[in-house]
Order: sequence, then C-alpha cells, then structure tokens
Amino acid sequence: MKAPEQTLKPRWVPLWWILVAVAMLALFFGIWCFGQQLKYGDIVTGHRNPGYGGAAWGLYIVFYVFFVGVSFAGISVSALSRLFHIEILKPATRIAELMTISALIAGSCAVFADLGRPLNGLLDLPRLARPQSPFYGTFTLVVAGYLFSSMVFFFLSARHDAAYMAEHGARPLRWVYRLWATGYRGSVAEQRRHNKSSFWLSVTILPLLVAAHSTLGFIFGIQAGRPGWFSALQAPAFVVLAGVSGTGMVILALAAARKIFALEEEIPLLTMRWLTNLMATLAMVYLYLMFVEELTSTYAAPSADRQVAHVIVSGRYAPMFWITVGCLVLTFAIPFVMRLRKVTSLPLMIAVSLLANVAALLKRFLIVVPSQTDGSFIPMEHSGYSPTIIEYGIGAGLFGILVLAVLLFGRIFPLVPSGTLLPASKTSGADSRTRAWLRFGVAGGVACAALLMITVGLADSFRLFSAGELDPRIPYSPLIFAGGLMLLFCSAIAYEALPGTKSSSDSGIG
Amino acid sequence: MRKSLAVLLAWLRGWCLAPWRWHVARRKPEVDPGQRRLAMSAGVAALAGGLVGLTGARRADASAPPDPGPVTGRRWGMSIDLDSCTGCNSCQIACRQENNIPTQGPEAKYGAGHIEWMSMLWKEPEDELAPPELLPFPCQHCDDAPCVKVCPVGATYQDSEGIVVQVWDRCIGCRYCMVACPYERRSFNWEEPKFEGSLAQMLNPDVATRTAGIVEKCTFCSHRLQGVKEEARLEERVMRDSELQHMPACAASCPAEAITFGDLNDPESAVAKDRRSPRVFRLLEHLGTDPKVFYLRRDRGEDS
Repeated sequence: MKAPEQTLKPRWVPLWWILVAVAMLALFFGIWCFGQQLKYGDIVTGHRNPGYGGAAWGLYIVFYVFFVGVSFAGISVSALSRLFHIEILKPATRIAELMTISALIAGSCAVFADLGRPLNGLLDLPRLARPQSPFYGTFTLVVAGYLFSSMVFFFLSARHDAAYMAEHGARPLRWVYRLWATGYRGSVAEQRRHNKSSFWLSVTILPLLVAAHSTLGFIFGIQAGRPGWFSALQAPAFVVLAGVSGTGMVILALAAARKIFALEEEIPLLTMRWLTNLMATLAMVYLYLMFVEELTSTYAAPSADRQVAHVIVSGRYAPMFWITVGCLVLTFAIPFVMRLRKVTSLPLMIAVSLLANVAALLKRFLIVVPSQTDGSFIPMEHSGYSPTIIEYGIGAGLFGILVLAVLLFGRIFPLVPSGTLLPASKTSGADSRTRAWLRFGVAGGVACAALLMITVGLADSFRLFSAGELDPRIPYSPLIFAGGLMLLFCSAIAYEALPGTKSSSDSGIG
Repeated sequence: MRKSLAVLLAWLRGWCLAPWRWHVARRKPEVDPGQRRLAMSAGVAALAGGLVGLTGARRADASAPPDPGPVTGRRWGMSIDLDSCTGCNSCQIACRQENNIPTQGPEAKYGAGHIEWMSMLWKEPEDELAPPELLPFPCQHCDDAPCVKVCPVGATYQDSEGIVVQVWDRCIGCRYCMVACPYERRSFNWEEPKFEGSLAQMLNPDVATRTAGIVEKCTFCSHRLQGVKEEARLEERVMRDSELQHMPACAASCPAEAITFGDLNDPESAVAKDRRSPRVFRLLEHLGTDPKVFYLRRDRGEDS
C-alpha cells in the first residue's frame, strides 16, 4: 500500500493539465451561455410552448435527471459496502462519493438554468415551496437531504486520511487537512464510533436515495395531462436507470483515476468488474421495464398514449429509441460474455460504461421531450424541439463541473481510502463515563432539534398553520424543513467529532 | 461601486422583508375578522368534536359549531355557444388588447413561442362544403386544476370564487404548470415583451405587463370583474347577471354574443342555464379536471 501523499501526483502531468484546461473551458463556455440566456431570455434556447409543437422542458431537465441519476451510484456504492461489508467495493467508495457530490451540484445547476427567473427561484423556493408539488422533492430531498448527507458521509469517512495528510501532506494545505481531521487520531474508540455512525448514516441514506429518485420519476409519472408520462412505472424505472448510468459513471471515474493518478494497485480490476456486473444486471432490469412500458402504451392504450409510443418506436424519435435499446442490450451482453469467457478487460468495461451513459441520456430525452411535442391532447401546430448551442453549452459546462471535481480533488486528497496506520491506532481512546453521556446528549439533542425542525417546517410548508392561505405562516418554513434534514445528519458529526476525554489525548499524535 | 452595493443591499432587504409585506397585502378584505375567528373556532371545535368522537363520548353534538348560514359564494364560469360563433377572431384580439399581451410577428407564431390567452382552435371539415369547425379556447379554469397542484411556489392558485389566477411576481418560471396543463392554456414569456411604437401608449393601465421568464394565462378578466364588483358596491346593490354576462373582454367583443360569463352558483344566470342545455359539453372531460368553461355543441339542424 502506497502512502496517500504519493498517490496525489498524476502520472503524466501534461495530461492532467490538458484535462483541467478542457474542463475549465467547458465550464466557462457554460457560464457564458447562461449569461446569454439571462440577457436575452429563454428565447435563446430551443424550448417553446407545448401544444404548439414545442417542448417547454428540454435538455436542461434531461441533464438534471441525468446528473441526479449519476449521483445515485456514488452514495449507494459506499452505503452498500458499509452495510453489507463488501470489502471489494471499498477502494471505489471515495471516488463514488465524490461523484455523488459533484453530480448533485451539477444537477442543481441544471435546474437553475432551467428556471425562467433563476434568482427568484433561489429565493422563493426556500421561502414558499409547496410539498404538494413534486418539485419540492427536488429542492429539499435532493439538494438538502441527499447532497448534504453525501457531504457528511464524505467528510466523516475521509477524516482518517485527513489526519494522516495533516502530518505528511503538502505544507501549504496542512491547515485544510487539520480542519478536515477535526481532531481525529485514529484510536480504537474513534474507529468504532465511525463504523457505528456510518452504519446508521447508510441506513438513513438508502431510503432517502430511493425517495429522491422516485420524486424525480413522480415529476413525470403523476401528470395525467401528458400522455406517455402518466405511469406508475416512472418512479421505479427512474431508480433503476439512475443505477445503470451512475454505476457507469463511477466505473469511468475509476478508470480515469487509475490512468491519471497511477492508482492501478489501489483500484483492482475486480472492483471494477463487480461494478460492471451490477450495471449489467440493472440494465437488464431496465430493459424489462422498458418492454412493459412500451407494451402497455401500444396494446390497447388510449389513442394519445399510443400516438406518443408510435412516434417514439417507429416515428420521429425511432433512431434515438433503437440506439438506446441497442446500448442497453450491449450493456448487458458484453459483461455477460466477459463473464462466460472469464476475461476481465478494462477497455471493454470502459466502453460498456460509456454505452450505458449514452443510453441513459437518450432515454431521458425520450421521456421528457416526445410527450410534449407529440403528446398534446390539443395539438394546435407542429414544430418540434431542437436544442440550441446555448443548451449544449450549459450541458458541457455541467460535465465540466463533474470532471473538474475529480481532477482537482485528486490532486489534493487521496482518491482511495488508504489503510495507513496512524500513531494513535493502538490506543483505546475510550470515553470516560461523563464524556460518553455528553456525546450521546449532544448528538441526541441535535437529532431531536432536527426532528422538530423537520416536523414544523414540513407542516407549515403544507400551509397547515396558515389555514389554506398562500404563504406559510412561518417565513422560510421550507428552508426550516431542509435545514432540519441537514441538522439530522449533523448529529452524526456531533457524535463522531466531539473530542474524546483528556486522558486519551496524551498518547495521540501531534 | 458603492452605488451598486447599495442597490444590492436594498434589494436583499426587500427580499428579506417580503414575506411579512405579502402576508399583510394578501389579507382578503371581504373576510371580516369576526368571521375569521368564527371559522377558526369552528375548526378547533370540529377537531375537538373529532377527538371526543374518537374517545367514544357522545357529546360531540354539544360542541358542534353553530351553522354559518347558507353558502353565498360565487363560482364564475363561462359558456361558449359554438352555434353562434362565426370565427371572427375578435375575442382573440380583444383579449390581447385588454390584457397587454405583446403582439408578435409571424415568426414567433411559427416558432411556437408566442403568447395567447384566448386561441381559436380550428379544424378543417371532411366535407369540403361544410364550414370549418371553430372553437374559441380560453383557460378552462378547472376546479381540479393540474397546474395549481404542481406549482412549486404557489404562484398559481384557485381563488375563493373559482378563478385559477397566477401571481406574476411570484412565478419562478419553472414551466411545470405548462407541461402539466392538458389544455396547453399557459404561455411563457420567452423574452422581454416588446410594445413597439404607439402600442406602448395603448397599454391597459389595469393590467400589469409581465417580464421575461414567467408564465402567464387567462384570468377571466378578473380586473374587469373587480370593476363590476366595485360599481355594485358603490350603488349598494348586488351584481346583476346582465352586467356580468359580457364582462370579460372576449365576451364583450363577441359580435354574435356567443361567449357568456356568469355565476354558476346562481341558477337564474345565463351561464347556469346554458350549462343545463342538452348541447353542453366540456373539453377533455375524461381527465377529471372539472373545467368551468362549457361549450354548446353546434346545432346543424340534423336532429330536427
């Protein structure tokens, strides 16, 4: 096992710089495009009124759904590896968590780009959001709960390496590592506490994850007024497709990290094969769901649903549909054949992950757009939707965020959790009785306050206290709910990071 | 630099204070505090009654709220007689003028980016000799409106008299209501509205112009309705159906008097009578949105 600080140097530095430059370029182009959109209005995008043949939602929503989907794998990989002690997944956990965080940030930016008045959205959603709208879920569950819980997870699980880096890392950054380590010494008691809190975090995050992805599906699935969307299958299908594309993205990130940061030893091919097999299985499940969906919407469905299905399967969107199906079939077939022939080929795994993500992007487009352009109950005109350079530019910028996050973070922090021993690893560091009670008291108090905030915020967001009025009675009550969710996860930090008793600190490092 | 900072600070302060301001501004003047207190105590009593009922005691009747009296609320609706409609499009033009909807060139129309509150649906008949089928098409003001359900910030809601209204200033432009509306009766401001030349002088001062990035829709000319209400209040009388029938701009401009507006709760109103007509139908009734725009089928003389 290499020491963590050795893994920070890219194998071929020019490649790192080139990639950073490309990602920065994409990011700045995205920001410029967003500026154009702010300046001239949404007329610069390809969106138009549905019913007149246009699509009011287009690439932004596709990217939003895609990135939130990518975030799926990250947190589920690390939660699964901790819940079921899947050791083979351990090297992938930190990259996966990093992927989750950066993808969620990119996804939030995509929603931001979609809003007609983004600044008003930024201020009004925390103030007025209604839980009755599935959009509430995107704002509170996804951004507050999901993003914040991933960050807490990430923060806590990296404290061990941060404590090491605080002693051995690059000198100008040591204060950052020291802050991150928050007094972590690696004593037995601390490790035990970390295992305990990460188990409970995993238990909390997994339902939150299913809820968040289902909410995304509900955005479309509960709209009876839009043929092709109204389906109970939307929510589970979103969860499964999120798994396919997210796992694919993690595999791609692992491959990139192996190549750029020379982590071939730390990230074994077996880890990647495990993930590829998971992705193949999920792709198979998704193909089945697609088949069910198409059969239901063509066999004896209402004419409007049938029309949308025909446009997708054999009409205007047919090439896109069949490419999606082909990619998904290959996503299943290639790993299956690899398994039969007992080969593990890195290039093939990368290719499969790319195919899975192409399929995921196209399938999201097929969910969002055709129901608007061709699924109107009252068609007045036909024009169609074609994205403009502005939308592609913002999409490129979002990918730029994702790539930059991995590249920059990889330079300053080990991308693979290392098993390096800290000097205090042998000490017990057990809490005194009062300290243990204090720890439970603080963590429990924070959790209780969080639950109170969640209850009050949610109830008032439902306008229960303002008797059906338009505004919540307590200003910013959706923010209170979201803050409660965040605070709930902070109780894990309080539990873990509260310093141990004095006596145990004598034998520590530093 | 300092000036822009001051502007930014003032703006932020406005935002922080906004909830209180709005809370005060939005108080409904019709509901007097006594009535509100009554309603609240009725709610509390109902809750208590429920609790008592749950515990099995038979004293629920004693704590039941006093009867607030007959419901006098109004429910606005519209009927459109397709037999009278000549397809002259004057409703569309009148709506555009009344509600400060920017005029747009033919390119905007072609690009499906134009704003229209009142449209004219039109379908070529199979028989060449028959006239085309026309359908004036305003917002249907559904009682169970999908757009109201999905709005994440409550910018669109149903008011106490059944009109689905949109608060321009509150809309964040997510366009969820547009994709949720099965009637496609919502338009987005894809760019800043332009009123060129003398059009700027012809703006209706009663209706706010909208900015880029928000969704807008038909309001059943609620500002004109307000005018009728105030006139009746000044003269200390109830509103007459005759002054409501042609209140909206589209109905006022219809030369064939095909569009009628009125109170659906008043059985004697023209709209309520139209609603009982055997020719009546509503659009997309199978979706269960319960629209309040009633169409009267064309009477082609085939049945008689």
